[in-house]
Amino acid sequence: MIHPIAVGAVVAVAVVTLAAGARGLRVARTPADFLVATRAVPPALNASAISGEYLSAASFLGIAALVMVDGLGALWYAVGYLAGYLVLLTLVAAPLRRFGAYTIPDFAEGRLDSPALRRVATFMVLVICGFYVLPQLTGAGLTMQAVLGTPGWVGVTALGSVVTLAIASGGMKSITLAQAVQYWIKLVALLVPAVVLLSLAHRPPVGAIEGRAGPVFARTTTVRFPGPETIVVARPVTVRISGVLLRSGGAPVGDGPRRLTAGAWEVRAGTSVAFPAGPAPEVRGAHAVSGSAWTSPLVLTDGRPIHPLAATYGVIIATFLGALGLPHILVRFYTNVDGRAARRTTAFVLLLLSCFYVLPGIFGWLGRLDAPGLYTSGQTQSVVLALPALQAQGLTGSLLGALTAAGAFAAFLSTTSGLLIAMAGALSHDILHRGPVAFRLSALGLGLAAT
Amino acid sequence: MADPRPARQVVTAAPRRTGAGAAWPGRDDLYRRDEAAGLLLRSLLRAQLGVTMSVLVPAVVVIALYPLAAGAFPVVATWHVGPVPLTLLVLGGGVYPPLVGLGFWYVRRARRVEDRFTELLGES
Repeated sequence: MIHPIAVGAVVAVAVVTLAAGARGLRVARTPADFLVATRAVPPALNASAISGEYLSAASFLGIAALVMVDGLGALWYAVGYLAGYLVLLTLVAAPLRRFGAYTIPDFAEGRLDSPALRRVATFMVLVICGFYVLPQLTGAGLTMQAVLGTPGWVGVTALGSVVTLAIASGGMKSITLAQAVQYWIKLVALLVPAVVLLSLAHRPPVGAIEGRAGPVFARTTTVRFPGPETIVVARPVTVRISGVLLRSGGAPVGDGPRRLTAGAWEVRAGTSVAFPAGPAPEVRGAHAVSGSAWTSPLVLTDGRPIHPLAATYGVIIATFLGALGLPHILVRFYTNVDGRAARRTTAFVLLLLSCFYVLPGIFGWLGRLDAPGLYTSGQTQSVVLALPALQAQGLTGSLLGALTAAGAFAAFLSTTSGLLIAMAGALSHDILHRGPVAFRLSALGLGLAAT
Repeated sequence: MADPRPARQVVTAAPRRTGAGAAWPGRDDLYRRDEAAGLLLRSLLRAQLGVTMSVLVPAVVVIALYPLAAGAFPVVATWHVGPVPLTLLVLGGGVYPPLVGLGFWYVRRARRVEDRFTELLGES
């Protein structure tokens, strides 16, 4: 089933990206244009571009899903992703820009005066970005498949070709504006649904996620199972089935109202089950954490508090230092006018990220309260994309769903293009030692190879 | 880009703010007068380290305290403000403004340190 409104929204995002890329086509000529956008990107624009590039789909679809599954402790990822920029700001932003290199390997060689280090750095850039870009493309294929109803290869090809075209045409010069626009697309695409869904939320009584209770259906809820699952019913319950359920090793139970006894039930793919208000059955193997564990600010490991304090500090330290190690982010700092502009850019990035990172927590919380069916059908990973259709009826639901789909596509586009820029720069400047033609060819080659 | 290793230089684009000038105008002076140069450089580095630490340490304290509190007093996890869990308010929004504020404060302080240094070079 193809959703026309969502397809339209995604196509619109792609067109905006290509339009911004075409703008770069006329002005980009020199290596400085392609690699560092002539070092004349003003701080506010550059901060939008960095935020657009940094906020990958994983960082908000993923955090929201983690919050829903593991509880609010997963928000430490968002806090750490943000705080990483404070470390970047205080330790590397200005010196990195003042050094005046074109690429990270350039900086490595110049700073420590070692050609061997340049080769190592080039290798690392290609490895890090390569491993980063593949899940982006795979994720885009899966997400577009789930949201638009298009086959997997359509999403991958669309993403790969749009990004490759935009970068090969104008390099950093053309992609800066595109990434900046994509930050604002993402912010609007998630902020609007979040506000609407908050206003629509069926507010449960205060303290609904306290105590030892797992997720609860607030009212009669129909859960659709896209794939086969085994659910565990705690207490006997009468449900209305459309499809097939069977007792493990027993006879199948077909359409109509049925009484499910306590225990494990296998659900066939494509089945819908209407559960009455009450505790939601669990999916076998994916234990939904209880209320007080869900609201705990400590990080869970596989849904269990295993040395929770150590796990929390582990996540904090890793994410704090993580932003320093992203070649595609660091390379954007070379597009600043000077060291001071690099610092102002980073401060703006902090501001932009802090606005955006309010959203994953809201989506995770709404999912926990209002979409317990996602636990039952094992679809928690799609909470951001699925919530609009579950919570808002008719056209509103479709429009909000189209917005979140457009936001996800913008995220895949901006992150992938940043990674491809960093790789094409490293390949053409540091391995081939050639100018714009090699950059364009590298971008085309890498884009094709990745797709 | 025929020569693989061209001479390195700091590339700086316009526009410049009037008055402030380049970040390192007294560079030659620094290399010429040994004793004074060492002293100057060390004073700059110490000032920069001080500014950096005065931002990073509070940031780490702000961030590290909440899990510590929740680890010591598990009841923190169950507190709500209205229908909203306290943890959502803190981690999903409350902790960001101090971090962003520290960032902008750092930008101002770092600029001031540099300005003072260039003034000092101009006078000596």
